Amino acid sequence: MITVATIPARTGIGLKPQHYQEILRDRPGFGFFEVHAENYMGAGGPPHHYLEAVRKDYPLSLHGVALSIGGESPLNRDHLARLKALLERYDCGLFSEHLAWSTHEDAYLDDLLPVPYTGKTLQRVCDHVNETQDFLGRQMLLENPSTYVQFEESTMTEIDFISQIATRTGCGLLLDVNNVFVTCKNHNMDPNAYIDAFPVEHVGEIHLAGHDERRDDTGAPLLIDAHGSPVVNRVWKLYERAISRVGPVPTLIERDANVPPLADLLAEAARADRVLDAERQRRNSHAVAAE
Amino acid sequence: MTKTTNMISALALASALGAALATAPLAFGAEMEKCYGVALKGQNDCKAGEGTSCAGTSTIDYQGNAWKLVPTGSCVSMDTPLGKGSLEPIERPA
Amino acid sequence: MTTQPGQNDFAAALIDRALPVPDGVTSWTQPLPARRFGVYRNNVSGALVEALAVRYPVVKRLVGEEFFRAMARDYALHNLPRSPVLIYYGADFPDFIAGFEPAGALPYLADVARLDSAHWESYHAKDAIAVPQGAFASLAPATLANVAFEFLPSVRILSSPHPIVAIWRTNTEDAAVQPVDLTLAEDALVARPEMAVEVRTLPAGAAVFLSALRDGRPLGEAAATALQTAANFNLSQNLAGLIAARITARIIP
Repeated sequence: MITVATIPARTGIGLKPQHYQEILRDRPGFGFFEVHAENYMGAGGPPHHYLEAVRKDYPLSLHGVALSIGGESPLNRDHLARLKALLERYDCGLFSEHLAWSTHEDAYLDDLLPVPYTGKTLQRVCDHVNETQDFLGRQMLLENPSTYVQFEESTMTEIDFISQIATRTGCGLLLDVNNVFVTCKNHNMDPNAYIDAFPVEHVGEIHLAGHDERRDDTGAPLLIDAHGSPVVNRVWKLYERAISRVGPVPTLIERDANVPPLADLLAEAARADRVLDAERQRRNSHAVAAE
Repeated sequence: MTKTTNMISALALASALGAALATAPLAFGAEMEKCYGVALKGQNDCKAGEGTSCAGTSTIDYQGNAWKLVPTGSCVSMDTPLGKGSLEPIERPA
Repeated sequence: MTTQPGQNDFAAALIDRALPVPDGVTSWTQPLPARRFGVYRNNVSGALVEALAVRYPVVKRLVGEEFFRAMARDYALHNLPRSPVLIYYGADFPDFIAGFEPAGALPYLADVARLDSAHWESYHAKDAIAVPQGAFASLAPATLANVAFEFLPSVRILSSPHPIVAIWRTNTEDAAVQPVDLTLAEDALVARPEMAVEVRTLPAGAAVFLSALRDGRPLGEAAATALQTAANFNLSQNLAGLIAARITARIIP
């Protein structure tokens, strides 16, 4: 077991069952793996068997998709306990969740649903982030969402809302660059301006993924966070812009649908690693020049 | 029914166990899954757009009498509509 | 003044497509944007259908993609998950299928679904180590009738008037789908002694015998019950099967 649980400032990929055996056979060299926590909440069997084997050689980041931090309902304490058990069992270097809701009363709606940005919802999300961090005994990262609608009642920008959460709770942020692109295009905002205004001092990880493109009723572009295709060039550009502000941080290539051969994901990971390396060099040469 | 008639004698049990221990291990239908289903897909994802995205305006009515669909490929007998041997095994990454 | 749709309204409109887009939901192009809200509706039903498709792959194959999606969506929107862990979602989908009129032409479908489900549960069950086969040889003959067994958590026993194993197997493992005699009845044993799930057919009386043992009843009683159910119950064959299947976690003398 790699006992140092920290995730390196390199690129990782999502661990998919399709790739278990190839990974264990070839042990490709890269930063880390990330898994969806809920897929490892069964009692036993091959998922845990493979995750244990993979964890012996790679750092692991745990990404929750169902805690419903933005929900009006109280957090599910059983679910928090399951997350804590996984974090301990696999000695995970990072834990992240979404600025979204998915559970209402006792029904799980299985999607990352949007939250209005108001003083009242800010307080609720902060309470839930505090409760999560207290329960888990560690800092969490909160991910900016992909959204398809907005709310009349919103009184704050998404960036103000997220900045306030980080400041008030001490949580870190997971900057999903594809979500920035999707959300900005869907709401007629400038993705570059979003990246330039993002509170980068809190960013502990970056996500990259592909999206689908549709149209809304008026014919305006409607991008869908589908995770079923490669990262597009415009998102790569946005990533470079983000890295130049954030500095090198762990970066994840996400793919949840149309999972390609492992080599394809590794090629995308290598591209992100080149961006991280270039930024390291740029910062080093600046440091040298300043001496 | 008395307990005695409801039970099997110790002798019968012992001899059955003796025979069982001497039997080749094929007593239950012994074919078993070897190559399939070793790594099943997880169910919780954070992707969006399953199925036909933006289908919110589609008006397909699956309720009650409006049901028009029939099961297609009942691949269990010689006269399956898809014909014998027309399907590949279920894709489950090994 | 702005409207504030609560998550109640939002959730209700996700599930019931006859409801309008909730007041207060908007976009830069139009208020109450139907296609945009439709993305969420579609994500919810699509993701739940996909979760059922992963648990019920043979059912999906037997009825076809389009029929499966429609049937699963009907189930999902009336039976939302009560846990965010989808591994446990859809355990009663076979009961729904049994009462689902459009699937009535396939009388075996619900029982094949039960086998899909048993396979899924066995796959995710708590791991345990089976006792070595030698443990059976050292049992004292005099007290054999009182011996009880604790099975592995992955053990599932199914009984059906349909050839569920043959249907399941040919739709899972065979490159070419083999014809199945639909007049046969098959019982099944599903277990995972290590990492691979094993599916077996059971001989006469075995399902009753194994179910009695699983419920903690002693060997003598379980064998007698099986004999009463099936006159051709073969005790030594069943003991051999019990031993070879490696499904026993603990022998309780």
